[in-house]
Amino acid sequence: MELIRCENLRFTYPDQERPALDGVSFTLEKGEFVLVCGRSGCGKSTLLRQLKKNMIPYGQMEGSARYRGVEIEQLPDRQSAAEIGFVQQSPEQQIVTDKVWHELAFGLESLGVDQRSMRQRVAEMASFFGIQSWFRKNVRELSGGQKQLLNLASIMVMQPRLLILDEPTAQLDPIAASDFIATLKKINTELGTTILISEHRLEELFPIADRVLVMEQSRVALDAPPREAARSMAAGVASEMLPGLPAVVRVAMASGEKAELPLTVREGRLWLEERLGEPPEAAEPPHAPRQKKEKSAEAPAIALREVFFRYARGGAELLRGVDLEVPQGQLTAILGGNGVGKSTTLKLLTRSVKPERGQIELGGKRLNKLSEEELFTNNLALLPQNPQALFTELTAREELEEALSEQKLSEEEKKTRVDAMLRELELERLEKTHPYDLSGGEQQRLALGKLLLLKPKLLLLDEPTKGLAPFFKQTLAALFKRLTGEGVTILMVSHDLEFCARHADRCALMFDGEIVSVGTPRQVLAGNRFYTTSAGRLASAWLPEAILWEEVAAGCAEASTPRS
Amino acid sequence: MVNSLLREGLGEESFFFRAHPIVNFCYFAGVIGVTMFSNHPAFLLLSFLAAFGYSLLLGGLKSLKTNLLLLLPTVLIMTLFNVLSVHNGVTVLFYVNGNRVTREALLFGLASGVLLASVIIWFRCFSAIVTGEKLIYLFGRPAPMLALTLSMILRYIPLLLERFKQIDAAQRCMGRSFRRGGLIKRFRQFGKELSILISWSLEASIESADSMEARGYGLRRRTSFHLYRFTKSEGLLLLALFIPAALAVLVCALGKTSIWYYPAVVVKSPDALQIAGFAAFGLLALLPPALDLWEVKRWS
Repeated sequence: MELIRCENLRFTYPDQERPALDGVSFTLEKGEFVLVCGRSGCGKSTLLRQLKKNMIPYGQMEGSARYRGVEIEQLPDRQSAAEIGFVQQSPEQQIVTDKVWHELAFGLESLGVDQRSMRQRVAEMASFFGIQSWFRKNVRELSGGQKQLLNLASIMVMQPRLLILDEPTAQLDPIAASDFIATLKKINTELGTTILISEHRLEELFPIADRVLVMEQSRVALDAPPREAARSMAAGVASEMLPGLPAVVRVAMASGEKAELPLTVREGRLWLEERLGEPPEAAEPPHAPRQKKEKSAEAPAIALREVFFRYARGGAELLRGVDLEVPQGQLTAILGGNGVGKSTTLKLLTRSVKPERGQIELGGKRLNKLSEEELFTNNLALLPQNPQALFTELTAREELEEALSEQKLSEEEKKTRVDAMLRELELERLEKTHPYDLSGGEQQRLALGKLLLLKPKLLLLDEPTKGLAPFFKQTLAALFKRLTGEGVTILMVSHDLEFCARHADRCALMFDGEIVSVGTPRQVLAGNRFYTTSAGRLASAWLPEAILWEEVAAGCAEASTPRS
Repeated sequence: MVNSLLREGLGEESFFFRAHPIVNFCYFAGVIGVTMFSNHPAFLLLSFLAAFGYSLLLGGLKSLKTNLLLLLPTVLIMTLFNVLSVHNGVTVLFYVNGNRVTREALLFGLASGVLLASVIIWFRCFSAIVTGEKLIYLFGRPAPMLALTLSMILRYIPLLLERFKQIDAAQRCMGRSFRRGGLIKRFRQFGKELSILISWSLEASIESADSMEARGYGLRRRTSFHLYRFTKSEGLLLLALFIPAALAVLVCALGKTSIWYYPAVVVKSPDALQIAGFAAFGLLALLPPALDLWEVKRWS
């Protein structure tokens, strides 16, 4: 049975000429799991918002969007609130009360449910989501992943028939994102809730979706089951989404697979076995890269030597003897899960906290000997996780000018520098836009531009790829490449293995307050069974050195050449 | 165990802390109410000692310092103020600038000081026992909106502080800090950071508002959820507190817990009602701390 039917839906925002939705038609059957994808600004958020009454933006709407035969705009408020759930991107900002249990009950309170039924429904949902152990906690104490699960659960207590999610895992680390998606799958299969989700990260959603809807320039370019969708993309329909596809799919398509495409790592391994035969017995155990001291003439840009840190005497040790050298003019990435000490390391480098023991040197000078001026003037800059922390002005151009406000330069000189920066960041077109109206990737670049105008030698980045679409990641990588070419040293902390495998010069893997391995991305990631890129997970048994899907595809091509 | 108890106090481990909010509320309404309208030295002393003792039990030695810091100035200021501004009373101690300083004014000032200090310390106990969550529950039934607002305030204050920290760190890393430089520069930088906080939070609140509305905020007949259950033993405890509280309030309403200070201090020998009231007030004030202590003993 149909739950949603959109017919020739057109929507135009006020003062815009081009419609944000241009004749969109699709249906959603009961119990389906449908993935919506497309690059930023393609209209997918606008489409999702048309399906929830209170979220419909102001603007000109034509055509129809019906929920169980009723125009969504005409739905009674109570029914819309209870039957259609909507999860947004930010884990933090959707939570409005101070306690987990109170947040869970928020929707039921609104519906005026009585105490006894509330207690039962809250208890039931908390058990379904495994929330019991943090049920009475303050929401402040939760991790990002827990917060987003709470947001999901606080909608599920209202027992909606349709669940709409707008990039719900964009702000989560990969492990939390997997948990979240696994929970969605469980909701779909065990509770029968219909799910419509938009996301950039397709790796895990692609295999479980019943259908994929690709939007391109305000229209639905593709509406097909995942395997067919992948084929169409390869054939040139909505091919922009190709970089987002799971590595397995890309390898199989590159190898000219004509039969059914593998979607998961499990299917991928079987597929590889067909082509490459039984994997060789693990003759050589995955070797741990040896940390070799590379003697070089110039001092490392950053050196940490046996750095220990904890917040209070008797408190837990967050760093236990961190040893790390960051060479000049390279992009180094610190990898690792949540709470292993990555962010603490950044805090130490910006002197927000002091080490308990050990030494930190910047360019051969002791960090604690530098004055604040020496440290932050043309030396060290930090791009915070939330670029909003830097925005003070009304337009992107003014924002960049503000960065130069404390420097003694002529107006002309300032203008030239700002112009050059706008050009370099590809933000010229948006120079008059309010910083908050930029997309996540554009905000990220604007903030970076502000810092770069201060001409730092050393750039620290805190999760710079968080929430970015694949397309923006490529732009960012190109920018990093240019910067390191100019001699800027970049140190980033990140969860994003795929990005670091492709673009970092060096990686350092952190675990439990220590650096456990350092080297090129290949040295650190290749041969790992679990903590590696998805291409690495797929092919480690056959091609232990491969960490990118192209390498796996090349390996397949090589193996099949002599046979054919 | 005993050591940490001395230092940190019972805090949230207290038995009475875990009691139903209505029980907590009745207790504090009783003791604070009677204290505020009593100036009989015996009642004052009892209330003061009970408050002081309970606050030590809940907050440990840490709260001793705070209590003394609150108590001494309060009593001193109230006494001085009364002595210098009130010249009633039959017993003249000495003259200051031609004005009489009387024993009655001195004693009344002292009594008022102790009264005020006791009430303040009772409120410290109150805030240790009746947390924001319990307040939300207490307001929740008559005014669900007020309860929600309270809960949101408790959510957003720490969030704003956290955001400000991030902003401050980010600005410091741009070489800008309101902790250095000239006064005007510092002032301007602080203003800038505040303005970032405001725009960021306003922007973020759009998503919060959407999330509230998506979950039906604004529909009629809102209810308020809570986790408290009023069990039989809670009922018994409430009764055990309510009976002495009612008696003490009655005696207080009859004026038996107060005496005259002007023109002369007269403390009559106590009548039956006064003795009953005193006993009831003592029972009321000391029951929760006694239960707390009893439970500490049971677990050790």
